Amino acid sequence: MLRKRVAGVITVKDGWAVQSFGYGRYLPLGRPEILAENLDRWGADEIVIQCIDRAKRELGPDFALLERVSRKGLATPLIYGGGIRDAGEAVAVVKAGADRVCIDALLHDAPGNIDAIADRLGAQAVIASLPLSVDGEGRLAWLDYRTKTSAPVDDRLVVLLGTGAISEALVIDWLHEGQPHGFDETLLARFPVDDIPLIAFGGLSEPGQLRDVLQSPRVCAVAVGNFLNYREHAIHGFKVHLGGLPIRPAVTAVGVSV
Amino acid sequence: MTELTIGVIDYGVGNLASISQALHQLGYRCRVSREPEVLDAVDLLLLPGVGAFPAAMESLHRYDLVEYLRRSARLERPMVGICLGMQLLADTSSEHRLTEGLGLIPGSVSPLHGHHWHIGWNTMEVLKADPLLQPSDGHSLYFNHSYVFEAALEYQIGVARLDVPLVAAVRRGMVVGLQFHPEKSQAAGRQLLRNVIEGLCHA
Repeated sequence: MLRKRVAGVITVKDGWAVQSFGYGRYLPLGRPEILAENLDRWGADEIVIQCIDRAKRELGPDFALLERVSRKGLATPLIYGGGIRDAGEAVAVVKAGADRVCIDALLHDAPGNIDAIADRLGAQAVIASLPLSVDGEGRLAWLDYRTKTSAPVDDRLVVLLGTGAISEALVIDWLHEGQPHGFDETLLARFPVDDIPLIAFGGLSEPGQLRDVLQSPRVCAVAVGNFLNYREHAIHGFKVHLGGLPIRPAVTAVGVSV
Repeated sequence: MTELTIGVIDYGVGNLASISQALHQLGYRCRVSREPEVLDAVDLLLLPGVGAFPAAMESLHRYDLVEYLRRSARLERPMVGICLGMQLLADTSSEHRLTEGLGLIPGSVSPLHGHHWHIGWNTMEVLKADPLLQPSDGHSLYFNHSYVFEAALEYQIGVARLDVPLVAAVRRGMVVGLQFHPEKSQAAGRQLLRNVIEGLCHA
């Protein structure tokens, strides 16, 4: 049986892992590769590294970080996002240790490049990262985090998500990111494309909330960031409370069931 | 510590860093190379791969590795293909266009039936009690693919299920293909990778 996943997210700014609050306030956590090592040891189903300043500063992917993470020899699938501009960089990111790539700014700047990435890596390796909110008129709005401006989700994005070049969408509740119990499930209910699996992220802090979100047939995974940093083996804790759902049982990287 | 040396074939496609690190952590010596004189000296050839079938075969041809791999299989050298590396063992693939594969295990690669992708952790069921995989029967492993190797039944040694079974592992003599990523399947994957390497090298 294919399981739903619980992913750990590491947000990186200026080369350091940070706690992020509403895409506007950041608190340093430490070295990203150490956090990745912890998530690997704790048995996360996937690790997401999102470097939030690479596209804004036109720096390209952080290959030095990927090399440091790779040297840790993680046994957990790694998703990397941040600064990827074209297929060549996406392939290099995978060669450097990532299993899948997350695309954000490119969706705004050069959506035509997404097809080229899917041609080289396969669509299964391509995830669309979408910071979303519900605007005052109840419409789903898509944030360009570089300019901090939101616009209603339009046909252009809907078409892009339906081309078959993107396998999953990371639905980020950026307004409530870092806020306990903040995730707004309306974002999932109003997502405009039916047949693309969704990864929910932003303000997911409580096991009951994760359970509710994972029960949606549209959701293939939940991603948790800040709230994993408050205690050891947090992934175990979440999974123990998610019993009965189609998730992989809680195990550590060395295979101990909890 | 074992003295086995694994040759990871570098043809410009795949997650070489992850597989090399996994092999080192399992205690194997690892040579990442496309040079026949280097690969001739290893105990097992490992063919990784991420991406599209035609581009991967193009790269193997570009580096004169197609005949090298076919000859190695004829000589019954141990060989393991992972993910796309498994699919390359097939006769043909219809990904993007019809492309000839290495032809080491009879069968063809085609799109998944009824699903766009197979992404995430899924349980493997071992067929024919293959001794290499038997200890991993029922374990969850990480899959990430949209095409599947429809190998002839006699070569299938493991399946996973979506609505229907799909081939997760194949074997023909000393050549084994794994559709999932053992190097990214935590303890279950590392144990399986060790069993396959040790089983083939000490057969």
